[in-house]
Amino acid sequence: MHESTRSFRLGVAGPVGTGKSSLIAMVCRELAGELQLGVITNDIYTDEDARLLRSAGVLAPERIRAVETGACPHTAIRDDVTPNLLAVEDLERDFAPLDVVLVESGGDNLTATFSPALVDAQIFVLDVAGGGDVARKGGPGIARADLLVVNKTDLAPYVGVDVVQMVADAEAARGGKPVLALSRSDAESVALLKKWVLEMTAVVRSGRHTPVDPGPMAPHSHVGDDGELITHTHAHPHDQTHAGVEVDTDRVVQAHAHSH
Amino acid sequence: MGTNPELVALMLADARLPTGGHTQSAGLEPAVLAGLGADGNKLGEIEEYARDRSRTVTRVEAGAAVVARYFALSGLELTPVERAWAARTPSQALRAASRRQGRAYLRLAGRVWPGVLEHLPGDGEIARPVVVGVVGAVTGLSAVQTARLIGYEDAQTVVAASLKLLPVDPVDAACWLTALHPEIEELADAVRGLTGPGEIPACGAPLVDVFGQKHAAERMRLFHA
Ligand SMILES: Nc1nc2c(ncn2[C@@H]2O[C@H](COP(=O)(O)OP(=O)(O)OP(=O)(O)O)[C@@H](O)[C@H]2O)c(=O)[nH]1
Ligand SMILES: [Mg+2]
Repeated sequence: MHESTRSFRLGVAGPVGTGKSSLIAMVCRELAGELQLGVITNDIYTDEDARLLRSAGVLAPERIRAVETGACPHTAIRDDVTPNLLAVEDLERDFAPLDVVLVESGGDNLTATFSPALVDAQIFVLDVAGGGDVARKGGPGIARADLLVVNKTDLAPYVGVDVVQMVADAEAARGGKPVLALSRSDAESVALLKKWVLEMTAVVRSGRHTPVDPGPMAPHSHVGDDGELITHTHAHPHDQTHAGVEVDTDRVVQAHAHSH
Repeated sequence: MGTNPELVALMLADARLPTGGHTQSAGLEPAVLAGLGADGNKLGEIEEYARDRSRTVTRVEAGAAVVARYFALSGLELTPVERAWAARTPSQALRAASRRQGRAYLRLAGRVWPGVLEHLPGDGEIARPVVVGVVGAVTGLSAVQTARLIGYEDAQTVVAASLKLLPVDPVDAACWLTALHPEIEELADAVRGLTGPGEIPACGAPLVDVFGQKHAAERMRLFHA
């Protein structure tokens, strides 16, 4: 491992078909001129996404690699990130120095988020076609990913979704973290995505960024021994001791002192 | 060193240990693509496949692991063991897959059992059985425990992958695995005493190599190998 070639590793997760590959293609198209990029895909059948991205012609095909998930897309980005990490390190070695490696998760359900051992930051992608209430339902990716994208806003009129309301719901669920209403046919939104990636790249490079684990669980509460209501956010800050090593400092937020 | 070898063996045999095991089918996926199991009409072939491996390619793996363990304990350089294993593993694709797995094990072992790094480089691409043998040496696994681990792991990889590839009842899969116990013991017994690379069994299964080679170029696959 060559420490000097460490890139900003950016995960892109979200349910099946919400536009993860399209978003990655968009980022490559917008930024390939300014940044050195690589892409790792995780798919049900090996290289479907990788082929789609290669055929989009936005990045040299050899910079796009597929990782097998053994039909466990969730495991591959969360419980055992080893094959993905090896693939990321290989890309970083073969195309050093890379600025950003984008890792696409296999389309999974709302609970699938990246382990901070694999990515420095993550984008969670929803689309309006999945229904306007998805954002309100919440979940770890929706609530705590570094960026939530509400994609395909151009389809909103056809599926009866109020984008403004959906974004407002998402913002409410995220406590101030950014939400981006995106459509490939809305140049302004594409420019905002580009801006976010560039800013995040700068932040991660500066060493000021601490990966935040959205966690597999939604925030939940229970009553402690002393009758106090305790809310676990499971949004742990992680101190990077060295690449990929996380030190877990479980933070428990004491909500209301509420005894019966 | 305060660590119980039996617990180490349990850890190493546990799919939850992060070494990328979920990407492996021990060649079952290409075999199924080639007709094994007859679309679910001959599920008994899965157990037979695991047994065939145990008598052929897994014997090579277990032998290599036992000899690697012996070499590490004797302070010998491990290259000849890796070479002997490679000479007995004709498919370039299968050698690459094993070395990739070896790298995943080394990544883990370098932090969990750092003593391994006195024998192998932390970022090396070295055949999985060689790495497992060295982990065994460092953690106090006996030769027979090391061989048994390799035999069990291979059979378990086959039956676990069968659940994803064919219409298998998971309890049937556990029954097959249990039925393979005597086979695994026989294998462990056969290789436990090996100490030299030249003694590693050279009993291949040509179809396993052909399938492995084909699979590397297969587009629609769930498993790496
Ligand atoms: N209308 C519209 N369609 C889009 C947009 N972005 C992506 N799509 C379409 O949505 C479909 C799915 O896009 P993908 O990028 O393949 O989605 P994905 O999340 O990578 O899918 P999986 O990897 O299979 O989970 C494709 O038909 C895209 O063309 C958009 O902004 N507007
Ligand atoms: Mg995709």
